Amino acid sequence: MKKKVGIYICQCGPNIADNVDIDKIIESVSAFNDADDLEIVAKPYGLLCSGEGKDYLKQEIEENGLTHLVIGACSPRDHNNTFIGVCKETSLNPYLYKLINIREHCAWIIHDKDKATEKAIQYIRGGLRRVLYQSELFENKLDTNPDVLVIGGGIAGIEAALSLADADRQVFLIEKTDRLGGKAATFKTVLPKQQDAVEAIQLKIQTVQDHPHIQVMLNTRLDRIIGFLGNFEAEVRSIDDAEKMTELKIGAMVVASGFSLYDASTHPDFIFSGDDEVYTALQIEQMIAEKNQVTTRSGKAPKSVAMIHCVGREEVGYCSQICCNAMIKLAARFKTQSPDTTVKVFFRDLCLPHQDDQAFYNEIKAQGVEFVRVNRIATEGSQIKFTTMDENEGSELFDMVVLAPAMIPADGTPDLATKLGISLHETGFFQEAHQAINPVATATDGIFIVGTAHGPRGIQATLLQAQAAASKIRVQLIPGEQIVPEVRVSETLEAFCMGCKTCLEVCHYGAIVFDEDKGISVVKEAVCRGCGNCVGSCPSGAIQLKHFTNPQLYQEMIEAVQ
Amino acid sequence: MSFSNQVLVIGAGIAGMEASLMLAKSGKKVFLVEKLSLIGGNVIKNEESFPNLECSTCMVAPIQQAVLQDPNIETMTLSTVEKIDGDVGHFEVSVLKKARYASMTDCIGCGMCYEPCPVSLSNEWEENLGEKKAIYVPTAGSLPNVPAIEAEHCLQLSGKKECNACVEACMFGAIDLSETDEQMQLEVGAILLATGSDLFDVSQLTQFGYGKYPSVYTSIEFERLFASNGPTLGEIKIRNSDRQPKAVAMIHCVGREEQGYCSGVCCMVSLKHAHFLKHKLGDVKLFNLYTDFCVPDKTHQKFQKNIIEETQSIFHTSMKDIKVTEADSVLNVAYIDAKGKEASLNVDMVILAPAIIPGKDTEVLSRIAGIETTEIGFLGLKSGGLSTVETAREGVFLAGCAEGPKDVQSSVTQAESAVGGMLARLSSLTS
Repeated sequence: MKKKVGIYICQCGPNIADNVDIDKIIESVSAFNDADDLEIVAKPYGLLCSGEGKDYLKQEIEENGLTHLVIGACSPRDHNNTFIGVCKETSLNPYLYKLINIREHCAWIIHDKDKATEKAIQYIRGGLRRVLYQSELFENKLDTNPDVLVIGGGIAGIEAALSLADADRQVFLIEKTDRLGGKAATFKTVLPKQQDAVEAIQLKIQTVQDHPHIQVMLNTRLDRIIGFLGNFEAEVRSIDDAEKMTELKIGAMVVASGFSLYDASTHPDFIFSGDDEVYTALQIEQMIAEKNQVTTRSGKAPKSVAMIHCVGREEVGYCSQICCNAMIKLAARFKTQSPDTTVKVFFRDLCLPHQDDQAFYNEIKAQGVEFVRVNRIATEGSQIKFTTMDENEGSELFDMVVLAPAMIPADGTPDLATKLGISLHETGFFQEAHQAINPVATATDGIFIVGTAHGPRGIQATLLQAQAAASKIRVQLIPGEQIVPEVRVSETLEAFCMGCKTCLEVCHYGAIVFDEDKGISVVKEAVCRGCGNCVGSCPSGAIQLKHFTNPQLYQEMIEAVQ
Repeated sequence: MSFSNQVLVIGAGIAGMEASLMLAKSGKKVFLVEKLSLIGGNVIKNEESFPNLECSTCMVAPIQQAVLQDPNIETMTLSTVEKIDGDVGHFEVSVLKKARYASMTDCIGCGMCYEPCPVSLSNEWEENLGEKKAIYVPTAGSLPNVPAIEAEHCLQLSGKKECNACVEACMFGAIDLSETDEQMQLEVGAILLATGSDLFDVSQLTQFGYGKYPSVYTSIEFERLFASNGPTLGEIKIRNSDRQPKAVAMIHCVGREEQGYCSGVCCMVSLKHAHFLKHKLGDVKLFNLYTDFCVPDKTHQKFQKNIIEETQSIFHTSMKDIKVTEADSVLNVAYIDAKGKEASLNVDMVILAPAIIPGKDTEVLSRIAGIETTEIGFLGLKSGGLSTVETAREGVFLAGCAEGPKDVQSSVTQAESAVGGMLARLSSLTS
């Protein structure tokens, strides 16, 4: 078939025209005759991104019956979308167009006009060669399911479920234990302002249970998932009855599987048994919630309490962010219970990163809680040995010792990650898509991570993440609206694939599966993000990325390296 | 009639941009009001952001572009909100849109107009470490890449002298000196306040010598000094000199006691700066004077360890009475150490990490928006319960550092959460 390529060079006012000889470019590309059945239309234009420029391009495409389009202009960052938009309003498939940046790459940076022109010619001729090898791609629209599976019935899962159900999404909430509320439901008061939490959290639990759009499934775990954003299928199984499997169709998932605590008894510096007066902060919280007072094992109120921060922090390799605050809250509780109680807090760094935290700390300090900054600390039962920052050593016996062990990923986190096909951070918590600008998403579209499954955090931050994930789902999956998956994705060339499975290992998105019958890798197009990792790793050249195939890149390079 | 299909976002920093994009995607018409001539907020002042040490402008530029190109977002730069009447679903908002004098549609950002401008001004966006003309973009890579004119300094506009230099230099006829400020009325259903924060004014604390000694910097000044698009194009040279520092002291928590809280991010910023210095200068001695190391994220402690290893920084904690003095271009940092003894360091640069404080317009905004501020002066959430983004005025939401000191992750999260709050509130009006 005869190809007719339109090449339009934008003068960009004086920006390109003054520093690049556009007539020479036109002359050079018009003489291009390295392909058969090729006709070239090459023209300069004043300002292609202007309204008149866009209309001009549309007219040129239609009147000349162009089969391909090359534009020499500015950075794709500025106007690639502009010209894709132009193509979309014509009969030209936008994947048969190429924008070449001769402004930032030539006109603006090379002061010698001849050299700038020479480089611009190479670039444009490269674009011309490339575009001849480009293929039409068609964006598919897919129907989506707006419903959501929430994994974990703690405060994070509850909040996500409520936010979504209130937006009329059907929510399936699975919880592996026999009750909702997680660890937060056992707290009497919550940070940062010591609000009474019991009522607020119980209200949320009740609302979840009564909500017409939420189906709560207790004693249930996830078995497997398949699919992609908008079209997942999940199998969940009853923990009590292995025969009881339910298949759910959903569009997205929120992982809110919570945390565990570092086992302080495994730490060589903290030697204690179940008989000693040594407790974790969480045990004290539960004691307060159960009987509204803190007593020793013999039932007496402690007269002296040591509180030890950062237990296991060095071992796990991160700060758990909320323990300082939680310990200060408990120190306050001891003082309320009996103002005469001696409370000593042993810490290395105080981490109080929210605006209300330090005021609370100052208040507790004023109530007579003593804060001791230590370099080293060890316990043997409730006998404490420590070294202060000025290298003084101390040893004291207390009625009660409260430890703040690091928060660690919940049991079963690696297994859940495998089932979901999402990555873990080196600390063992789930890995977010981007630490700063996409914090609750994962590398897999449609799977979100919130709360302490994401990393150590308090209730306020947990609620925010749960709400954030719900918002993202709300915006990404609008009932009745279709989604358009990326079309520049990988594809396997069956004849070349040797079945080595290297590509499965390098894919971050779980987008490649192995077809056992054929013995080859197959790309799930709707999951693939087009990163190209698999292309680079394939030893037999059996995977190519659409719109970035080797022949396309090679053609462009021929001119560039001349 | 309700205006539930339209929303207002005030502040085009990372939180405001993220919220705007999501609201636009959900089908809302978004008015994004920004007081400066560029969008992007404080994040783009950073050369690299922690903990990944990735180029901040590269991280944020696609978001800025997406905002500017989104047909559902009307970005209003050089604009301030002056009045908010009505209530949820029916807010009537008065916005003063100052004249830019350059056309957003005709200007292509070539920059030909700056050079002929005869007026040089101190560049506030660059923390006054560099200059700009009366027609300017604050920094290379500003988005929108369209200059603005400071009318009070422009010779022609201020009536000081006839001048037409920029108009003549523009090949696109994009500069129009007859443009005037516009008073606009917006009708919106819900409002997000994402106006960001400022830094504690360290010149109040004279013991640190800021403002007196040229080699004492704030962390944000140092950030611009290091930035490859900054006033020195990334060369670390001490103010008013050609010297590169050989020993640098980083003092944490400046203003923490005065403000009464820890800002939660400054330790990471100081560590990042230690990395910048080591990376760029190689042979440099680094000291960190801090009280508590606050590195509260799963990634942060590892970052701390890596930087300490890389930079061989020396850390001093539990000091009291820090005092900076200068003699013969050498800074002396004196303090009482953890054992109560007098000690001191000699360095040739000091970088102070000031506390994050409420933005200077916060109080005015709180009155316009009809909401309370916290005791500290940040915009206040609705009290009681477990509110995360809602204020006491229905339909008005908060995100980012306007609500309290935060890192990028927390700002983005709160913005995303606020979007859900806004959508939920608006849909309850229509259903």
